This record gives sequence, C-alpha cells and structure tokens, in this order.
Amino acid sequence: MKIVLLLMGLVAAVLLLALVITFLVATVRVFGSIYQVARNPSIALIAFRSLLQHRLRSGLLGGAIGLVTAGLLLVTGVSVGINDTLLTSATTLMSGHINVGGFYKVTSGQSAPVVTNYKKVDAIIRREFPEIDYIVHRGRGWAKLVSDTASVQAGVGGIDITQEAGMKRVIVIKEGNIDDLQKLDAILLFEEQAEKLGVKVGDRITIAAQTPRGTNNTIDVTVVAVAKSIGMLSSWNTYVNIEQLRHLYQLNEDTTGALQVYLKDIKQVPAVRERLRKVLSAEGYNLLDPDPRAFFQKFDAVNHESWTGQKLDITTWEEETSFVKWIVQILSFFATAVIFILVVIIAVGIMMVVWISIRERTREIGTLRAVGMQRSSVLAMFVTEGFLLGLMGTLGGTLLGLGLTFGLNSANIGLPKSWQFVFMSERLIVTPTATFVAFGIIFITGIITAISVIPSFLAARLKPISAMSHVG
Amino acid sequence: MISAVVVAVSVLTSAGAWADAPTKEEMVKLLQTIDDRQRNGGDYKALAYIEQKEKEKADIVRELLIFRRDQDDKLMLLFTKPKSEEGKGYLRLDKNLWSYDPTTGKWDRATERERIGGTNSRRSDFDESRLAEEFEPKFLGDEKLGKFETYKLELDVKPGVDVAYPVIQMWVDKDSRNILKRQEFAASGKLARTAYYPKWQKLFSQSKKSDVWFPGEIRIFDEIEKANSTLVLFKSVDLNNLESNMFTKAWLESKSR
Repeated sequence: MKIVLLLMGLVAAVLLLALVITFLVATVRVFGSIYQVARNPSIALIAFRSLLQHRLRSGLLGGAIGLVTAGLLLVTGVSVGINDTLLTSATTLMSGHINVGGFYKVTSGQSAPVVTNYKKVDAIIRREFPEIDYIVHRGRGWAKLVSDTASVQAGVGGIDITQEAGMKRVIVIKEGNIDDLQKLDAILLFEEQAEKLGVKVGDRITIAAQTPRGTNNTIDVTVVAVAKSIGMLSSWNTYVNIEQLRHLYQLNEDTTGALQVYLKDIKQVPAVRERLRKVLSAEGYNLLDPDPRAFFQKFDAVNHESWTGQKLDITTWEEETSFVKWIVQILSFFATAVIFILVVIIAVGIMMVVWISIRERTREIGTLRAVGMQRSSVLAMFVTEGFLLGLMGTLGGTLLGLGLTFGLNSANIGLPKSWQFVFMSERLIVTPTATFVAFGIIFITGIITAISVIPSFLAARLKPISAMSHVG
Repeated sequence: MISAVVVAVSVLTSAGAWADAPTKEEMVKLLQTIDDRQRNGGDYKALAYIEQKEKEKADIVRELLIFRRDQDDKLMLLFTKPKSEEGKGYLRLDKNLWSYDPTTGKWDRATERERIGGTNSRRSDFDESRLAEEFEPKFLGDEKLGKFETYKLELDVKPGVDVAYPVIQMWVDKDSRNILKRQEFAASGKLARTAYYPKWQKLFSQSKKSDVWFPGEIRIFDEIEKANSTLVLFKSVDLNNLESNMFTKAWLESKSR
C-alpha cells in the first residue's frame, strides 16, 4: 500500500514538475516572441493578415472565445449581483455595517438578545467614532405569527420607522403604507409571509412568544404593509413598532436588541470594529469573544456559559449573514467551475486549430524559412496569431456580455419563487465590474496565447526543405 | 405521616361547600389540598403517551416514561417511542431543566416553561402540583361544568415566581376537589391554552401512607392556534422507590443508547 502511495506521489510530482517546466518554457517563449515582434513589427502584420485570410476558421474560433468571455462576464456579474443584493438586503433588514448587540441572562441557562441601557452605549459610540454615518436601534425577536388560517415562525424586528430612512429606500411596498408602522399595533410582512398566513393589509394576526423569564405572551397586531420579497433574508423577517416588541417581551424602554452602526465608508468596518471592542471594554462593558456567526446561532453557546447579566456582542454585517454566505460561495464555485471547463475546452480547440493551421501552412512556413525568416520569428508569428485571436475574441465577447447584461437588467426579468430564495432578489440582477471585465480579457487572452506556444514551437522547428516539399 | 395529617386536616376544613364567597385562606387551603392530594413525597414513575395534533401535519404519538422524586424536586422524562424520538429526554437538576438529544449526544439547557418534545404540554403537566406555592387565588364564583358543580377560581402568579402562564382560571369539582378544567392566559391576558382533566385516578402510597391522585388523561387545546391539540394519557403509575442514583445525566444517557 505504501509503495503504491509512494508511486502515485512520484507520478504526481513528475507531472507537476512537467507542468511547471512547460509553463516556464511557454512564458519564456511568449516573452521571446514579444521581443521578436517588437524588433520586427511586420511579424504582427503577417499574423494579422493570416487571420484575415482564414476568415472562417478565425471567425469560428474568435466567436467561441467571445462566447466564453461573455459567459464569464455574465456568471461573474450574477455572482457580484447576488453579493451586492445580499449586502443591501442584509444591511437593511437585519444588520448594520457593525452591530452592537448582546445577550442578557436572567439565569445562566436562559438568554435573551437584549442590550440594556442602550442609550448610554449609543452615546459612547457617537462620541468616540467620527467614522459613523448614522445609528439605528432594533429590537430582536423570534416568535410565532398566527392568523385565522395558518401560522409561521419568523424573526420579529422592532423598529422606529421614523429613524429608518435606509429601510424605506430599499423595501418596496406592494400594499399598504410603511409609515403606519408608527402605530403601536402594526406589523409589516413580506409577500411570502402574507401569502402563507393568508392575510392582507388590514387583517389582524397574533404574535406569540416567550419573555426572557419564560412567560408566554402575545400581542395582536394589524397588517399595515406588505412588502415585495427581497430574497432569502426577507422570508423570515417581519417588523413591528419597537414599543410593541418591548411589550411582547416585557422589556423596559431603555432596552433594545442591537445598535446597528452604519459607517460612511464600509471598508472601515474591520478597523472600527477593533476600536469599538477596545472602547467598550475600557468603558466597563463585558464583551463576548468574537464569534463569526449570526446572533441567533449563538444561543446554545451562550446558554452553556455560566455568567448572568449583560454581555455585549460586536459583529459585522458579514458575520450576521454568514448563514447565507454559503449560497454565494457555492454560486462562485459553480461559476468558476463552469468557466474553467469552458476555458479548457476552448484551449484544447485552439491548440487543435493552430495545429491544423500549421499543417495546412507547412509549405508556407518552409517558404518563409527559405527566404530567411528565423525560427524565433516563425514562433513569434504563430504566437502573435494566437494572441490577436484571443484579444479580438475577448474584446468582442466583452461587448457581447455587456450588451446582454444591459438587456437582461433592462428586461427586468422576474425570477421564480424558488430562485428568489437563492438569488436574494425577485428579479435577475447582473452587475458587471471593471475588475472582472479586465480579468476576463487578460485571463482568456493569456490562456489562448500560452496554449498556442506548443504548436507554434513545433512549426518553428520544421526544416525549410522538408516543409517546402510537404504535400497535403 | 405529618403530610398525611396535613392533607386530612386540609380536606376536612375545605371539604364543605362554601356558603358565601370564600376567604383567601379558604382558597389557599383548597389549593394546598389539590397540591397535597397529588404529591407523593416519595418516588413516582409513570408510562405516558402524548398525542399531538397540528394543522396540516400528521398526528404524532409519543411514548415516554416519567420519573419523579418529589422530596428532592427531581424530574426526568425519557421518550421511548416513536423511533425518531427514542432516547430523547429531560432532566431537572436543581433549578435547571436540561434536554438531551442522543443523535447529537448534547445536553441543552432548556427553560422550565418550555414545551415538552415540541408538543403543547409543559413540564408542569408532568411535575408535582405547586399551585399554592406559585399562585394567589381569587374566587370567581360557582359554575356548573356539564354535570359537575364546580368552584371557578382565578390564580395570579406571585411576584418573583416564573411560570409559563401568569394567570390561570380553574374549575374545581366541589365534591372530589379534582381540577376538571384549567384555562391558562398569556401575560397579555389572551387565552392561550385550555386543558380538561376528564379522568382522575388514585393509588395508595406507602411512603405517604395515603392515596395519591393523578390525572388519567389531560386534553389540551391550543387557543391561539385553534387547530392544535394535545392529549396526554398516564398509564401504569408506580409509586415504589426508584434507584437512588438514577436522576443523573449519565443514567439518562445510558438509557438512550
């Protein structure tokens, strides 16, 4: 068994070594070709004319490269779109850029997602952090919503709608009025929940939950607004007036669920978070150890700890949405795999076609060599052909991809319900970025150029006399 | 012996029908009677079945064993059926209720007011009665419940006591002193749960030297989700002494394997 493993390891090492050597040789050859073309620009002209001369072959290959580039642009665009939507919906529905939440434990085994005396914490943050744009405070709850015909478990956020400018910008109301959340007995549902509960604006529902002391409590509320779904996160979030949420959980008015802190520049999140930990610790607050999970995933761990009283928990928006990040990661993995397969297919195709092209043009190579063209110039000519083909194909593909992106976004294509859950939006959003456009052009052109080195190298090695006498 | 005398005295003093609205002391005595009649003082073991009916879900029947040592306030529930629930259990140690799941091998601290096994039954449905300790009674009047003459009482939780429902209305049979109906209200005052106790049984306890009463059946109706109900049946109650060291996590885990 050990010998087999040893042999397999040896084979893998040899293959890896061969791959590295091939890559190095190809790189050297490509740079050599660049040098040749720089010295003698007519090589590039010959290569370009050669591509024009074989229009059909060049067109088919360039088209295939273009399609792969457009595909790469679309797939990465969808991935970026999902990420952007996740950021927008997460930082609207359930998280700030940074959150100062926490747990209050009446007994060691029973915790509630509550920050007591939150106004003092709010004042400290405002005083110490000029980086913040604004802060909102939200109540956090998990309860059963019961209508006359059905029930659902959902997160119940307590909000002060007059302070929620960001929420009003992002949430699209399908029915009712979001400002009615100022009323004490009001609730905002998303269309998926309203559908499950069989309710519409004006209907009454009961919210049932246990208080931090374990007492059962209920509130009766009226549906004042039904919002359009914004993907997975909206499927389990509802909102009530924060006063009513405190009433449900029998909390006093100086408590909240979390302070959601929004920064002027989201890139400052890591630095501000670290400073926030230091500042709040220095102010005498007990902090939970960093745990990169959403608050509701921490109850088990917190309930197993023996402390009682208040501990604050400082999290980022990415941590609060870590439970849906796997979707983005799977999609990115899927996109990468698809692109990789397409690039491999195209690379093999390119190699085959260059090979065929060389075979067809063996006599031409012989003639060029006979009139004095050096081997390095022949190599440079074919590598340049590969480069030009790759560059034109990817540029065309980029234009096609951008056009398709524009068309798809303009068409406002609605997604089926099951897809909305994954895409975190009710419609398809494709967001092309300059980074991915540049990456697509450079990466695919580079691959095509590198792959054309091997057949070009073989072409350059042909002897003029045998090449000229080649038949077929 | 002392507890038997207390019960006897309590029953005698509260046995007669109240001519007028009873005093608070009389009502407290009635609650003590109800509590004492169900208390064994020694050990308790019962086989029980919980049938859970929920809207748009298949009915589920769970079989469980209940172990109690009232003297030390100990309680253990061990699910034996169906297969998916087998080995799950609850154990109260001191003031903490722990739940055990053999599939993960993890113990989680649960609230004493938590639903048992996801049903609408609570720990208090299986534990010894503590009405006099936890609630202040108020007389609401005499009421006829079917063919039974009953006292209707309202119980409000005492300050500082944590219970699942802070207000309870109770219908107590004037003749037998058994609870026939119980309505439990959420803190908001909304009716949350109605329980009926159609069968009461008694068993002579050697440790108590008198009868111990227990409900043969409890029918619980969810008043918030109207379509949901729970039936709890108590079978084969045994008041003999249990193993001395069984109220431990290790014991429950060993039975879950």
